[in-house]
Amino acid sequence: MPRIVIDGLEIEVPQETKVIDAAERLGIMIPRFCYLKSLGAVGACRVCAVKFLQGPFKGVQMSCMVDVQDGMVVSTTDDEAVAFRRQVIEWLMLNHPHDCPVCDEGGQCLLQDETVSGGHGIRRYKGSKRTYRNQYLGEFIAHEMNRCIHCYRCSRFYQEYCGYRDLGVMQIADRVYFGRFQNGQLESPFSGNLVDLCPTGVYTDIPARYKVRSWDLDRSPSVCIHCSLGCNTVANARYRTVWRVEGRYNEALGSEFICDRGRFGFGYTNQPSRPRQARVDSRSVALSDALKSAAEKLSRIHAASGPRAIACVGSARNSLETQTMLKSLCDGLGLPAPCFFVNSQTEKAVKRAVASLDERVAVSLNGVAHGDFIVAVGVDPLNEAPMLALAMRQAHRRGALLVILDPRPSFLPAPHVHLGFAPGELNGVLGSLVGKALETGDEGKLPPLHEDFLKSLPLESLFKAPVNHGEELDVVLSALQKSRRPVLVCGSEIVRENTPSLCADLALLMRSAKGQCGLFYVLPGANAFGGALLSGSEESSFMEVVESMEQGCTKALVLVESDPFLQFPHKDRLKRAMEKLELLIVLDHLPSLSAEMSHVFLPTSTLFEVDSTFINQEGRVQWSRAVHEGGIPMEQWTEGNHPPRAHGAIIPGQDFKAAGKVLEEIARNMGASGEVSLSDPRFRPGKGASPLEGAPGDRPGDGMRLIPRESSREPFSAREEYFTFGEDAGDSLELLLVEALFGTEELSAHSPALEKVEPKPHMWMHEQDASMLGFSQDDVIAMDLEGGVVEVRLKVSPSMARGVLVLPRHHRLQWQKFRDISVRVPHDRMRKS
Amino acid sequence: MAYADLLPEEMRKQLIQRIAEGETAREQAIDVMTALQNHFGHMSDQAMLVASELLAMTPLELEELATFYNFIYRQPVGKYVIHVCDSAVCWMHGHESLMDHLLSRLKIRLGETTEDGLFTVLPVCCLGYCDHAPAMLVNRHIHGELTREKIDRILTRLAEEPHLPTGMK
Ligand code: SF4
Ligand code: SF4
Ligand code: FES
Repeated sequence: MPRIVIDGLEIEVPQETKVIDAAERLGIMIPRFCYLKSLGAVGACRVCAVKFLQGPFKGVQMSCMVDVQDGMVVSTTDDEAVAFRRQVIEWLMLNHPHDCPVCDEGGQCLLQDETVSGGHGIRRYKGSKRTYRNQYLGEFIAHEMNRCIHCYRCSRFYQEYCGYRDLGVMQIADRVYFGRFQNGQLESPFSGNLVDLCPTGVYTDIPARYKVRSWDLDRSPSVCIHCSLGCNTVANARYRTVWRVEGRYNEALGSEFICDRGRFGFGYTNQPSRPRQARVDSRSVALSDALKSAAEKLSRIHAASGPRAIACVGSARNSLETQTMLKSLCDGLGLPAPCFFVNSQTEKAVKRAVASLDERVAVSLNGVAHGDFIVAVGVDPLNEAPMLALAMRQAHRRGALLVILDPRPSFLPAPHVHLGFAPGELNGVLGSLVGKALETGDEGKLPPLHEDFLKSLPLESLFKAPVNHGEELDVVLSALQKSRRPVLVCGSEIVRENTPSLCADLALLMRSAKGQCGLFYVLPGANAFGGALLSGSEESSFMEVVESMEQGCTKALVLVESDPFLQFPHKDRLKRAMEKLELLIVLDHLPSLSAEMSHVFLPTSTLFEVDSTFINQEGRVQWSRAVHEGGIPMEQWTEGNHPPRAHGAIIPGQDFKAAGKVLEEIARNMGASGEVSLSDPRFRPGKGASPLEGAPGDRPGDGMRLIPRESSREPFSAREEYFTFGEDAGDSLELLLVEALFGTEELSAHSPALEKVEPKPHMWMHEQDASMLGFSQDDVIAMDLEGGVVEVRLKVSPSMARGVLVLPRHHRLQWQKFRDISVRVPHDRMRKS
Repeated sequence: MAYADLLPEEMRKQLIQRIAEGETAREQAIDVMTALQNHFGHMSDQAMLVASELLAMTPLELEELATFYNFIYRQPVGKYVIHVCDSAVCWMHGHESLMDHLLSRLKIRLGETTEDGLFTVLPVCCLGYCDHAPAMLVNRHIHGELTREKIDRILTRLAEEPHLPTGMK
């Protein structure tokens, strides 16, 4: 590793580290406009100039363009370098407006900072300035082109990094313009990053625009909980309102970027419709009274009907603290173990995934970005885990072949091979793909167990079946054979329950053949991992809870930040079952039908109001700090007047608690012995203390992986079951209820910013299935189902799987009329309406 | 192809053919835009959308090229487009006073078109005719060693010979 001396300080850095980054490690922040580690260097702005005193380069050079080499001695404070930088800034400022006080970027502007620190305080240029016309870029981002300093970060990010093609750089010389061909909503679901990465005020965040100044904001490190990846963020709040969410760099996740769902999805925490008032039997009461009443009522049922009459349901959006408390409440009172998944099919898949993940194969998002062959099985990256799509794109940019093995139409912003197979075929196709690649590969001898497993993979037969994919399969096969760092990405929503275990086995197999293979699961929800660790055995499921309510065995239901109506296939059935309950206790911060039906409602805090812990899909524990205490946002409380004219001792709307605390008090009031134990062995990857117990300051900034070195699951044990498939499609379509980028995820569905861009409800069919049924694109299809008629607009795709019906669970669509989650919809139940 | 249907059948076929012959569609972008410009007179927004459809590139990607490249006109231009060389060697040989002369004679500013629709004057980065500086290009014809008199002669001749080729031909 080369060593360099910068301003008299010596440091050793990995090969290919840029001088600008080496300096940063020493705490020396060299000015920069165009350089961004995640985008790489282009040397466009010339403001990172430093002087090389010794070594292979001499004189003033751009520190972002030079890799550290042994013997380099660099000065950032040398007169010549300082003068150079000052001059560059002065040039950049020639055309820049002088109106920082009315610019929304003011106070958080890199240009402002570098101008002042670079020593260009007094304007010498007297001429007139170049001006541009701004564009309408949609609902998220405002455009003020006069502020541009032509660093090219935005166009490089938008086109090269993300692969979208509707924003870029136009014109020539001093007219260079960054924008779109015409006014219109930016197409990229990662567009919000422009706000963070533009060094000046060209792109500003519309929901927060002209609302706050950065120095007035409370800021805290937070974690995105709008999907299972857990991208790192910074939350910004003032006056009891969360205004803005920004991306935050995490080395393991590999970037500082987040998707627009994660950036603009926070609105639920500020919503006027957020339930903040505790209620008992429709009476508004103080939280403390509601807590007592909840405990009393529960105790009564506990005493009269026994602990088995009480069921507790949490969710994948619970923090780990909440899940742990719920678990210990159940344990302490002898209740059945809590359930964290409404969809039992998914639950099984998630549990298998969690049980399979270990250090031998698990890779983080950054690991995906560095794979040389990525196959994504039963997962729709852009819609289920948007940043995964970007990581895959980075892998493609480094030369990887991307393969999506999934029934849905695929929307990856990168060239890829899409193999559209139905869920029942995924195991077979994947198994044969890997089997074929290894069989003919030259990897040498495998351990006997692995060899056996390899032999058990179905080979030829599957390659004959998908005639239409013949050529593509050959390409895929040869790329997989050559691959040295393959990564298997596996979903959990639409796959068969054993697909995650198969992927784990195949990953182990490829690892022993190739020396290395990554495994990356996508789970349904920010803390699905925690839910899987803490819920009961594989056999208990929400469906059983429903049946037990129907039979009158379950008399009390405690819903902890969970609204089963959003996921349960049959709304009326669930409603009837819940109406039979003697007691429904709901803890939540989202409005919901469950909350409306509850006998006792206990308002809880959101992510932004309490320190909380989440485990992402790779088993990485991440901590989010509260940004404020919450309460009714000042804007709503004062009805737009500011400052408030009436003053009191209490902050309105603050009578809530973290769900974990609510549960803890209920447990205490009921005399439960249950002690929350974050020192539980489940939370301890090695021998040391649980990572959950340390003080915030001691926690690793990139989170901490909570998975064993070797999974205790027995590998290669389920061979036969993997490849029994092939239920005949017959005259029906397999229903796949799926996630969409915008409009399905529970929390962000309450965000006013996203509501403006979410697409209308729709469903997908293969174009041949559609034409066979006499349907075409944009027809409204009525499905006559057990629970009534669902009407939804049809989209058709030529590349998706035959025999499936893909229905995003859009929050504006009352789709919950199916008998079960895994059902087939007969052809004759569908008609054009 | 909603926009490409605006083209005569023959031309559309030719362009599609030409694009198919290249290794990538992108490499044909300038040629296709030039052909469309010859047909429409300039690259209107609509013409851009035609090109976008034919080339399977986004309008933005084409706009990036069209607005960078001097010989694609995104606004209507006169019958004769005069590209006056705007680089160092020409500057050294009296570019500025010639440009003044040209513009005052035509009674327009740089970038404008004369009222009769005959002339548009645009600056252009080096024409590579430095050994004959100062230089300008009128449609596809290069003129070097310019003087006021020479410019007058050229303009007079062009104004009097409206049968000369138009546009980029
Ligand atoms: S708009 Fe911002 S990011 Fe883009 S080039 Fe200009 S200053 Fe850079
Ligand atoms: S990819 Fe997922 S975790 Fe990351 S910002 Fe988007 S929604 Fe949040
Ligand atoms: S940061 Fe190095 S040239 Fe811009």
